[in-house]
Amino acid sequence: MSDIKQIKNLKDFSTSVERFQGGHRLCPGCSHSIIVREMLNATDDNICVSTATGCLEVCTAIYPYTSWDLSWIHIGFENAAAAISGTEAMYKALQKKGRPHSDKPTKFVAFGGDGGTYDIGFQSLSGAVERGHDFIYVCLDNEGYMNTGGQRSSSTPIGGATTTSPAGKVSYGEKRLKKDMVQIMAAHGCEFVAQVAPSKWKDLVKKTQRAYQASGPVYINAVSPCPTEWKFAPEKSMEICDLAVDSCVFPLYQIEDGHKVTVTYKPKVKKTVEEYCAAQGRFKHLFRPEFSHVIEDWQKRVDATWEYLLKREEAGI
Amino acid sequence: MANTKANQTRVVWDGNMAAAQALRQAQVDVVAAYPITPSTPIVQNYSQFVADGNANDGEFVMVESEHSAMSACVGASAGGGRVATATSSQGYALMVEVLYQASGMRLPIIMNVVNRALASPLNIHGDHSDMYLGRDAGWINLCAYSPQEVYDLNFIAFKTGEDLNVRLPVAINQDGFLTSHTAEVVEHFSDEDAFGFIGSYVGKNPMLDGENPVTYGAQTEGEWHFEHKMRQNHALVNSLDTIRANFKKYAEFSGREYHPVETYLTDDAEEIIVCMGSVFGTTQITVDQLRASGRKVGLVGIRVWRPFPKEDLAAAIKNAKSIAALDRSCPMGTTGALYNEVAAVLVENGMSKNLLNYIYGLGGRDTTTEHLSGIFSDLKACSDAGKRTKPVVQTINLRGKMLSFY
Amino acid sequence: MTEEHLLKGWEEFEAGAILYSFDGSSHHINNSIQHSVADWRAEKPVFNEEHCIHCQFCWVYCPDTSIISKDKQFDHIDYVHCKGCGICVDVCPTNPKSLVMFTEQTTNDEAIRNWPAKDTKKDA
Ligand code: SF4
Ligand code: SF4
Repeated sequence: MSDIKQIKNLKDFSTSVERFQGGHRLCPGCSHSIIVREMLNATDDNICVSTATGCLEVCTAIYPYTSWDLSWIHIGFENAAAAISGTEAMYKALQKKGRPHSDKPTKFVAFGGDGGTYDIGFQSLSGAVERGHDFIYVCLDNEGYMNTGGQRSSSTPIGGATTTSPAGKVSYGEKRLKKDMVQIMAAHGCEFVAQVAPSKWKDLVKKTQRAYQASGPVYINAVSPCPTEWKFAPEKSMEICDLAVDSCVFPLYQIEDGHKVTVTYKPKVKKTVEEYCAAQGRFKHLFRPEFSHVIEDWQKRVDATWEYLLKREEAGI
Repeated sequence: MANTKANQTRVVWDGNMAAAQALRQAQVDVVAAYPITPSTPIVQNYSQFVADGNANDGEFVMVESEHSAMSACVGASAGGGRVATATSSQGYALMVEVLYQASGMRLPIIMNVVNRALASPLNIHGDHSDMYLGRDAGWINLCAYSPQEVYDLNFIAFKTGEDLNVRLPVAINQDGFLTSHTAEVVEHFSDEDAFGFIGSYVGKNPMLDGENPVTYGAQTEGEWHFEHKMRQNHALVNSLDTIRANFKKYAEFSGREYHPVETYLTDDAEEIIVCMGSVFGTTQITVDQLRASGRKVGLVGIRVWRPFPKEDLAAAIKNAKSIAALDRSCPMGTTGALYNEVAAVLVENGMSKNLLNYIYGLGGRDTTTEHLSGIFSDLKACSDAGKRTKPVVQTINLRGKMLSFY
Repeated sequence: MTEEHLLKGWEEFEAGAILYSFDGSSHHINNSIQHSVADWRAEKPVFNEEHCIHCQFCWVYCPDTSIISKDKQFDHIDYVHCKGCGICVDVCPTNPKSLVMFTEQTTNDEAIRNWPAKDTKKDA
């Protein structure tokens, strides 16, 4: 096992040798690259990355340029976890056979959007986790298929307007609550599962370092505000991120060994779902009187989930 | 490796065991696979090697689908080492997306394909629908007609695919059940000699070399895609030279010689059947029977399906008057794929011959010496008439009203 | 920088459409750090050293790796890769801000001369 990189504060962190370069084509203000940089800079070990088809993939390896200062592979939309499981297996085999390609320890990370994670890549993720490969799967959760023009996914929240769940005269947009991937992955028995937000960099780095130390699969769900499809000004990405965690729509917590819940961030003053929605164009229609019940219902759900997490934390189960 | 013949031991193996043993002796670094009839025993046999500590410390990744099997193979091969898998039919179909990725990234993954029909309707028995489905996927495709050939062609596959001038994935096809589940005498090498023939593989541009990171799977739009695909095709077409050279080396090593196109009594043959797979053996018997009664008949078997050995085929059929191409896959709206290859070779060489196409053996339907001798009769009728006297596409051993096309 | 210098014939590319990150100890010509996205920008962030406390918020939250820090200090903005999203300005905690958006045409000297005053409402 490798040493944990010492990162006591942002000044320490800022001495990192970047693994992810500029010149990529992600939209201005996209949170994806903020998450990726924070995660990759959390270790000095070698890292092999696989990426599912999606914004991150399509914007960071457009021939003739790559933004990755580490080994990277993209195969398809549905197989980021399977791909990295193969690379990790090769690493283990060559270690055993005494002919590794590098003397340094190597970490394995798969990045997928919510489309590549919650939906089309779910099977391959479930399989790779069940097989116990030593890798971190990171979902860059921007709650829709943003790379193809903002269609709904099973991560799109209730009331969210997307191009395939548009708001209209009679519809308030997405009808279903988003799938709870953190709980689903915890139920796989992962040693470590967590939800993170890039605006809370210290929490994110701490969890990522915990993930790098794990000896089996880890799942991390990262809220990734998307200026283009969530419809807010690009400079507001980190403010929206803070709203997401302060309203507890995206609670920051972790689950160890499939059951031990720790809420890692408790907002001093809880923001409301209404405040969260008001900051984003995708929820604009929810402020029409006939749809106001959506925010009210959603608030109740958010409160219930928050209570549930706090109780589980308190109970230590 | 010395270029002298190695000692060999005779055993009785079916095609699946021959494949599994070859993978074990090749000291594959990562096998990622998913079981499917009729290739399941390859995966089971290999699992047993792992369980008994006989898999040379290689990793065996028992994935949750064939799509993930090939995806893990791509990830592992890009990692930098030797990789193999096995599949059939629906599993092959599920892999197709990733087959193109493997060849496009120039990763020498070795895959044993136990050929089986494609649904619907569902059928677990042998035909070549899966092999035909992947024929444009950019893989080298070798065809084995017996368990011995399965064993031999696996080593030729590793040696060819991993050659730095080739760097392409290779499929070794064998007929479901007829080859995969039929035990025959196989001569095999010692583990040491077998591995010595192919040597170890380091991998070009390994992802696991952290000092020299590489990006695999970039998006190549308008200005780049065409060049990359044609470079790949250039490598595939030219891999025939390496295959040929390795057939020679293997002949010296084993005493068994393979050719891109296998011929049987073709030199003076007026009627020739061109086929692939286990039907080659049945046709050989038919040819012997007809030769005994004085007929000038011959047989051509395609050993290398991709890259297609056009020159070898032209040489093999140049003296014939009439030719039948046998396709073990439903051509769905046109003539069979092997027929098309033969027709192209005739046109390219300005050869004018009677050419017929027979669809046979779908879903494991029997094809006997009587059926094949019937084909030779059709061909003889064409030769005698000096023109094609039969429909272009006919069927063998199909119930119901006589069915033909064109 | 245009891509034309990278166009090659089919026989010259690395097989498998592989891209390398490095060429020895420097970035490879195929690394996106060699590619400018400056023309994406309508406005640019300008840095004013006078107010900076070197907290590194701008460094950690820049999505385009364009805040360059050295020895734990803000060093400079990489205007070749900055897309002008404005996050660095938004997260800068000083008052007045140490980073402010200006139009592309404004020179950095002009920008510093026209730097906004301390926001008294904010402190109150
Ligand atoms: S955020 Fe502002 S104060 Fe902090 S380092 Fe950047 S410019 Fe300086
Ligand atoms: S404007 Fe955006 S891209 Fe430019 S330096 Fe600031 S945060 Fe980075």
